[in-house]
Amino acid sequence: MDESRPIFLQIAEQIENDIISGQLAEETQVPSINEFAAFYRINPATALKGVTLLVEAGALYKKRGIGMFVADGAQASLKGKRRDQFSAEFVRPLVAEAGKLGITPTQLAEMIRKEDAK
Amino acid sequence: MTTLTDHAPATPLQRIVRVAKLHLANPWTTVVVPWMVVGIIFAANFAIWWIILSNLDPSEKVDAGEGLQWSGASMWIFVYMMVVAVQAISITFPFALGYGVTRRDYYLGSALAFVGLSAMYAAGLTILSVIEEATGGWGLGGRMFTAAYYGDGAWPERLFIYFVAFLFFFFVGAAVASVWVRWRANGLTVFFVVLGFILIGGAALLTFTASWYLVGNFFAGAGFLGSYAWSLVLTAIAAVTGFFILRRATPRA
Amino acid sequence: MTAVIEVAGLTKTFGSVTAVNDVSFTVEENKIYGLLGRNGAGKTTLMQLLTGQDFATSGSIEVFGQSPVENAKVLQRVSFIKESQRYPEDFKPKHVFKSAPWFFANWDQDFADRLIADFRLPVDRRIKKMSRGQVSAIGVIVGLASRAPLTFFDEPYLGLDAVARQIFYDRLLEDYANHPRTVILSTHLIDEVANLLEHVIVIDEGRIIIDEDADTLRGSATAVVGTSLAVDAFVGTREVLHRDGIGGLASVTVGGLSEKERADARAAGLELSPVSLQQLIIRKTNLSEKEFEVSA
Repeated sequence: MDESRPIFLQIAEQIENDIISGQLAEETQVPSINEFAAFYRINPATALKGVTLLVEAGALYKKRGIGMFVADGAQASLKGKRRDQFSAEFVRPLVAEAGKLGITPTQLAEMIRKEDAK
Repeated sequence: MTTLTDHAPATPLQRIVRVAKLHLANPWTTVVVPWMVVGIIFAANFAIWWIILSNLDPSEKVDAGEGLQWSGASMWIFVYMMVVAVQAISITFPFALGYGVTRRDYYLGSALAFVGLSAMYAAGLTILSVIEEATGGWGLGGRMFTAAYYGDGAWPERLFIYFVAFLFFFFVGAAVASVWVRWRANGLTVFFVVLGFILIGGAALLTFTASWYLVGNFFAGAGFLGSYAWSLVLTAIAAVTGFFILRRATPRA
Repeated sequence: MTAVIEVAGLTKTFGSVTAVNDVSFTVEENKIYGLLGRNGAGKTTLMQLLTGQDFATSGSIEVFGQSPVENAKVLQRVSFIKESQRYPEDFKPKHVFKSAPWFFANWDQDFADRLIADFRLPVDRRIKKMSRGQVSAIGVIVGLASRAPLTFFDEPYLGLDAVARQIFYDRLLEDYANHPRTVILSTHLIDEVANLLEHVIVIDEGRIIIDEDADTLRGSATAVVGTSLAVDAFVGTREVLHRDGIGGLASVTVGGLSEKERADARAAGLELSPVSLQQLIIRKTNLSEKEFEVSA
């Protein structure tokens, strides 16, 4: 758990990651709040906040009396959201770092292609 | 998520009784050990009677028997009960506060325990004294439970005296311990100094005004039993004083 | 949310020492609170006042809507486990576990038995002869198994080793999740309990200097690390909680940053370093000391 950011955000991200990677398939059940709390050793209220974030974003929904489930289409919409953030979160630092080391955009593109080919 | 089921709160009587139970939760200190030591002291005395008395002539036996009526062998148990009371206040009190017990309930529950223990020990010792009488001093002319301190009346008198004496030691012990818990070492010092002044001052006053005979008349008038009954006044004063002192006491580490 | 504790203007003086100084706060139902502060800050005194074990000099306390002093109805629903708990002469743990249920209506014997096994507590040994860790375990077990609607833990786990402490935190969380109750933990080992807390109250020299939701508090500081120039450029006019530096490097602790600001910082080549709850509270405690010095 990263100390510098609110834990409930990190919980939300963790669940998002699992949905995007397909580990948590759509219409399957997500662990309960208490299970999250016990696993990460955090207060259940914090776990609840993280889950609520995703419920509000429409990625999870609650089946009364049973638990939380991954919503239909959650994977696609989350991927879309991440793509929007991708540029700011990954590309910008990549270009900045490359710039520091004197790597031109062309060289950078070549490195990416080589990496992808592996 | 289940919610807590709040059971019905306990009634005042239930709260007091459970404090009394707390004093008996570990019966070792309040029941087992005292009886064991009474047994050991008795056995030691029995051995002494056996050795000494059986080697005497009948006439010498009578003399020895008279001396034995002042046997203080049974005194120990009163002092022990005073220590029990002191510990009840100085150690068990802070512990009970941790269980959410109010000071009032604690004192009343402890008082109940003291009365109960007094009754039990008084009954037990009286039974032993009856046996002592019936067997002519355990077959050896020994005396422990029928010592002169307990009068020469029948066993109901002795029962009363034992009971009253136990109450006295319990509540005086509790009162002194309350002073300690509330005001610690300084308070205890002040208490004993003041007590000393009162006792010595009183004795001095009586001596200088040659009024000791008044004291003698008082006790003679009250009679043996009556004098013990008057100790109940002191016991009551100790009990009430202890209560009011403990009401504002805190369990400081 | 219902308030189980309401404190207003509470003060406690011992002679010339003011242990609790004009303190006011509210404790809401069924949350885990951390009562944090340095040694001698006033945590224990405050807890003793809240449980009626000590008497306030001035101010008001309401627990479950009533004053807790000599109030059996309120105190029956409260359990207060102290670090320095002393037990009656010749008591063994089994005597404690035999008598505790008489006083706590919600006592769960199965839970107590599991905890006794977890902590490997020898129930038939004289408490006088037990190690400090074992004696602490007794208090912890009573506090947990009592399921009292309001449970205080005043650093009772100090005597426990790290493994036992972790067992305590895990069992507490688990039980709290399944049987909600209001828990107040006091400690100066902030980092260990940081993730358990929902709300944080920090007391320093008798005064409350922080009274905040834990997540909000956590998000309220970040350390920005990099070259002094870049750091200062980024920090600009923000409030600085703490400044550290070696040579041309600087580490400045500032208030919370939004996701965009974080991205900006990273793009500027700066590193964002975590500020643990413990560090945050230390920084803010130092700040408050300075404030008091200035106003004095």
